[in-house]
Amino acid sequence: MTAAALAFWVLAVLAVAGAIGVVTMRQPVHSALCLLASFMAVAGLFVWGRAEFLAAVQILVYAGGVMVLFLFTIMLVNVRRQAREAALNRLTGSAVLVGVLLFALVGGLLVAEARRMGGPEGAPAASAARLSTTVVEAAGKAPVEVKGNSQAVAWSLYRDYLLPFEIASVFLLVAMIGAVVLGKRTMEKFD
Amino acid sequence: MPFPLSDTLLILPELFLTTAGLVLLLRATAVGKAGERSIALLSVASLVVTGLLLWVPAALAGGAARPAFGGMIAVDRYSAFFKVLVLVAAAVTILFSLRFLGTSPYPSGEYYGLILFSTVGMLFMAAGTHLASIYVALELMALSQYVLAGYFKQETKSIEAAAKYFILGAFSSGILLYGLSLVYGATGTLDLAAVSQALAQGPRTPLMVVGVVLVACGLFFKIASAPFHVWAPDVYEGAPTPISAFFAVGPKLAAYAILARIFFEGFGPSAGDWSRVVAASAALTMVVGNVGALMQSNVKRMLGYSSIGHAGYALLGLLGYGTEYGLWSILIYLTAYALMNLGAFGLVVLLEAKGYAGESVDDFNGLAKKNPWAAAAMVVFLLSLAGIPPTAGFVGKYFLFSAAMKAGWVWLAILAVLMSVVSLFYYFRIARAMYLVEGEGELKWREEPAVTAAIAVCAAGTLLVGILPQPLVALARTCLLP
Amino acid sequence: MDYPLWLIPALPLAGFLLNGAASLFFGWRRAAAATARWRAEHPDEEHGHGEAPGAQAHASHAPGAAHGDDHAHGGGHGHQGPALPWLERLFYGVVGVGSVGLAAVLSFGVVVPFVKESLASAHGLPPAVEVVYQWFSSAGYTVDVAFRLDALSALMLAFVTFVGTLIHLYSVGYMQNEEGYGRFFAYLNLFMFSMLILVMADNLPMLFIGWEGVGLCSYLLIGYYYDKDFAAAAGKKAFVTNRVGDFGMLLGIFGVYALFGTGSFSFLDAAKAGAVSGAGPLSVYAVCALLFLGACGKSAQVPLYVWLPDAMAGPTPVSALIHAATMVTAGVYLVARTSALFVLAPDALTLVAWVGAGTAFFAATIGLAQNDIKKVLAYSTVSQLGYMFLACGVGAFAAGMFHVFTHAFFKACLFLGSGSVIHALHHEQDMRRMGGLWRRTPVTAWTMAFATIAIAGLPPFAGFFSKDLILGSAFGAGHPLLFGVGLVTAGLTAFYMTRLARMTFAGEFRGPEDVKSRIHESPLTITVPLVVLAALSAVAGLVGVPAVLGGTNVFGRFLAPSLAHVPEHHVSHATEYLLMGLSVAAAVAGIVLAWRWYGQAGATEETPSAPARAFSERTGLLGRLVANKWNVDEGIEALVLGPFRAIGRFLWRGFDALFIDGIANASAFLVELAGDLIRFFTTGNVRNYALTFTLGLLALAVYVWIR
Repeated sequence: MTAAALAFWVLAVLAVAGAIGVVTMRQPVHSALCLLASFMAVAGLFVWGRAEFLAAVQILVYAGGVMVLFLFTIMLVNVRRQAREAALNRLTGSAVLVGVLLFALVGGLLVAEARRMGGPEGAPAASAARLSTTVVEAAGKAPVEVKGNSQAVAWSLYRDYLLPFEIASVFLLVAMIGAVVLGKRTMEKFD
Repeated sequence: MPFPLSDTLLILPELFLTTAGLVLLLRATAVGKAGERSIALLSVASLVVTGLLLWVPAALAGGAARPAFGGMIAVDRYSAFFKVLVLVAAAVTILFSLRFLGTSPYPSGEYYGLILFSTVGMLFMAAGTHLASIYVALELMALSQYVLAGYFKQETKSIEAAAKYFILGAFSSGILLYGLSLVYGATGTLDLAAVSQALAQGPRTPLMVVGVVLVACGLFFKIASAPFHVWAPDVYEGAPTPISAFFAVGPKLAAYAILARIFFEGFGPSAGDWSRVVAASAALTMVVGNVGALMQSNVKRMLGYSSIGHAGYALLGLLGYGTEYGLWSILIYLTAYALMNLGAFGLVVLLEAKGYAGESVDDFNGLAKKNPWAAAAMVVFLLSLAGIPPTAGFVGKYFLFSAAMKAGWVWLAILAVLMSVVSLFYYFRIARAMYLVEGEGELKWREEPAVTAAIAVCAAGTLLVGILPQPLVALARTCLLP
Repeated sequence: MDYPLWLIPALPLAGFLLNGAASLFFGWRRAAAATARWRAEHPDEEHGHGEAPGAQAHASHAPGAAHGDDHAHGGGHGHQGPALPWLERLFYGVVGVGSVGLAAVLSFGVVVPFVKESLASAHGLPPAVEVVYQWFSSAGYTVDVAFRLDALSALMLAFVTFVGTLIHLYSVGYMQNEEGYGRFFAYLNLFMFSMLILVMADNLPMLFIGWEGVGLCSYLLIGYYYDKDFAAAAGKKAFVTNRVGDFGMLLGIFGVYALFGTGSFSFLDAAKAGAVSGAGPLSVYAVCALLFLGACGKSAQVPLYVWLPDAMAGPTPVSALIHAATMVTAGVYLVARTSALFVLAPDALTLVAWVGAGTAFFAATIGLAQNDIKKVLAYSTVSQLGYMFLACGVGAFAAGMFHVFTHAFFKACLFLGSGSVIHALHHEQDMRRMGGLWRRTPVTAWTMAFATIAIAGLPPFAGFFSKDLILGSAFGAGHPLLFGVGLVTAGLTAFYMTRLARMTFAGEFRGPEDVKSRIHESPLTITVPLVVLAALSAVAGLVGVPAVLGGTNVFGRFLAPSLAHVPEHHVSHATEYLLMGLSVAAAVAGIVLAWRWYGQAGATEETPSAPARAFSERTGLLGRLVANKWNVDEGIEALVLGPFRAIGRFLWRGFDALFIDGIANASAFLVELAGDLIRFFTTGNVRNYALTFTLGLLALAVYVWIR
């Protein structure tokens, strides 16, 4: 096993373990910290895949912004413990069974597919190369080669995916409005 | 740039509607509750203007399908058809809402704004030809609707509906997104045309099959077809009634638009796989929807189950892929579906004077005597929902069932006929209540000309499409996917 | 023709719209006036109840609880006068009768030349198809709004509009005290429109419009007295059984489409040529069986007949028009119309014949046990419809349609006559409380007598010719068993009809005295249609006099081009005379027996048949039985008719309870079961929902993968 493969597996296990921790921890703060660990591991995976820009964004936005907001909320609302509800209910058995089946189905298919395409090592390198070097063709001009991670993301996001990006901005606006509408306490005072 | 800046003109209607939504939001803060009516009417006006503006991209595209923004969306007649339907649904919803907010303590600007933003999402869904743009537009639509479902947040039912809708919607989004990622993994692209090309060339891989199934399941949630329908009755019952009407029509139209586009344009080569998914779900949906509706005494729930059943019928049209029927039978059916469902919900809105009155079948008792016009309109909608000629529902079903038969799914067509007959029982419970049962006490009635007018338009449309369907049929046949 | 065919159905439609709009408008005015009055009377409460116009207007004339048996017109209102101002009534009446009458005139203007020319030419005229517009068209498959004029539709057109006009006219007098006068005429006009669409349609989808339309009107009119529970229940029963029929009908339409690639009646020509494009004879059989299922629902055949007797809850003109003369014959019309298809599947025809014969017999036995005058007629209708199907089943489609034709006159006459009786007796329908009415209501009595003779099948009245033709065809086609069933049924028919006439009109009045003093003959609008129908009951059969009696079957010759060609079976003249003699003998026997047993002196309200009572008193005394010549009659009454009655009663109550309730219970159980399943998955719990999703997803993925 090469060093790169070892790194991948360590990060992957961390990310999944963190995610499991989020849903199993009884203390909200512990869940939040597990989430942070998971985020960090994913950022590491980005680095491993040579998507340094995405890794930075992952840390800034998720580990930085989102996590801090979560922790603030937890502290402000002062939830110490989840409501006294049994962690396991009568559905747990069937849920686990269904989950395992789904995992087996999808996972098995993925493994089979990966084998068919020639192992897991080849794929990420290829996509990383695609990300770091992009040939940009503009109408009527000579193709431009874009170097570097952030530039590639920028080109992709603001050029190829401009429209979804803009729709997403309306989406965020709606999210904001929704938060205000549903969260505002004194509804009678709207006028 | 891979596309000229002038492509912006191709999304002029959507841009206008987004701007209008923003302006109305601000305006509502200025005029307050007192100006609710003006805000609502302005919203309707902006929807109308948006509809008129649809002419601009159509003229620019010059009748042919024209990709815009580097293949993210396309301006074609197919999307125009759905856009018009969606705009009508939104406008009718707003008219239904006119006095609904009324004395409630809820703000009006955000309400209408959210409807408009949700409509923007639907417009983009109708046009999307790229899985990324389709997905983002879908989420825009859905998020607005989660909020609208819980808009009456002092009503436990409403907030419960919102919570369920949100959680399950997120769950289904996860499924959809996972499916999309598998499709990307299998084909290396999210562009529908390219996906189709890759599928046609490559072998049938497990990855692609599971991807297709997952995408189908994620979308089935949006059209509320079994077994992904369970949320629908709860949400329709809990949400404010005009919003229920909107849910029953708008998102379904848009979801069908993308469902057909993704399956036909993108997954066409693997039709052998998805048609089995569709057939299984259609059969289950028709049975669950119609049998479920039999047992409801709450009209909103009943209409919820009934719309599940209708989603099942419409799925039959997808099975017509590759035959001469297929797609346009869906277009016709959805037109009929929109008209009759909006109308039926509209009458519930009218009856809903206070609280949840008008939701029980008994609230329709004696309506024929107290308000014969409303009863007559309701009969038209019920006949159409049950698929009895000469109404729009009959024409729509006729083509759908023919499509299923042409495609060789005879047992499904028989099941569909059987379920149509079953559906008569619960639809006629309402008709019976109106005509053959004596009403007690005074009739609670919301006097609102806008609602009445909207219902009248729906009833007239239902009859017109039933009696003179040919123009619509001819139109639908020109609005197919390439 | 100088005018388009579509004008004919358009007139009743216009009548419906006018009457509907007017009754809505006037109803609204009355409600508003009542509100104003109420407000004037309660000035203080104005504030609290300001929004109660509908409720108050309604309460001011809420129907009382005490109604007659099946008939409640004017009942409970406390007065017998008209409920509406005369001008308004005049409007409804003129529009209602006028539109249908004009339609009748127009249709005769079309039909008469058609009949003339058709009979003048050797093979009849080809069907005239008038396409109004293209209803919808899709890839290679067009459905037009098109009207068809051929022999079959000309026949239906003529008698439907004619009988319809008479019954509309009758309703003017009969319903005049009704508050819902305008509504009634609106529904009746809508019915006429639908019926005309049904018989004039040139394709199955359009026929289906009429099919559902008449069903809807029937439903609304059965439930016309909706303040009474049983009327609503009867409507429900009609609804359920007709849905079973609809299922067959719809699948049949799709089946025809699958077989021939078109729903237009041009497929019949293809069928005549034997050009079935679809699969083999089994699917033709299936399509025929499905269409016949639809016909059974509409035409009240076993086992779907149960709704028709209950449908008598509706007003009597409705019973006459919809549930006797026109709508219920739609099933026969459908079979005759698609006869070219049916002859391709002989097994389907056998099915039709046996279902028809069975229905004819069973309904007749049930008719023996009824005491409600309208119920007797209802079972009689079911029985006669069975006759028509019997005819179709043995390939004698023309004979079946002939019986449809004659039956329309005499059964409409009987129903209208019974309505007149009910009217005269102030809503009494029980024959045990009637008797001796002929002195007070001579016109009604005489007209009903004519119709009774006609249905009993005595020559030269209409029923004789059609019934004889059916029995002769059954025998000639090699079905002596079917002939036997038909013959027995003919005897039973004569018996129960004579019983009805005897109990109603002959003897002494058995009802309460206060009613007796008020018995009166009905007004002209009621008696005129009766007289016309009675006259036709007498002579309508003359268009189909068989050759053996020196006539020509003009009727059959006229209808032939529209029907499937079935090789005729010739029987010798002697046989034919014999068959005729047998059927007349059966009829005479029935009439004589019934006349002697019912309405004699000694009859009481409980036991109108004195012999039956006497027999039960003397049971076991064999000697006296022999000694007394009456005991033969009594014996027959008890030993032969008794079992028949028992069968009848069983079919009426037992079969109904076992079969229909059984089906209802079974389906209720299934629905419950499905409900439990659905509830199991629809608990309202989000976790369950998510689990359901995932399960469904897994199932679908596996299903697709293992294909």
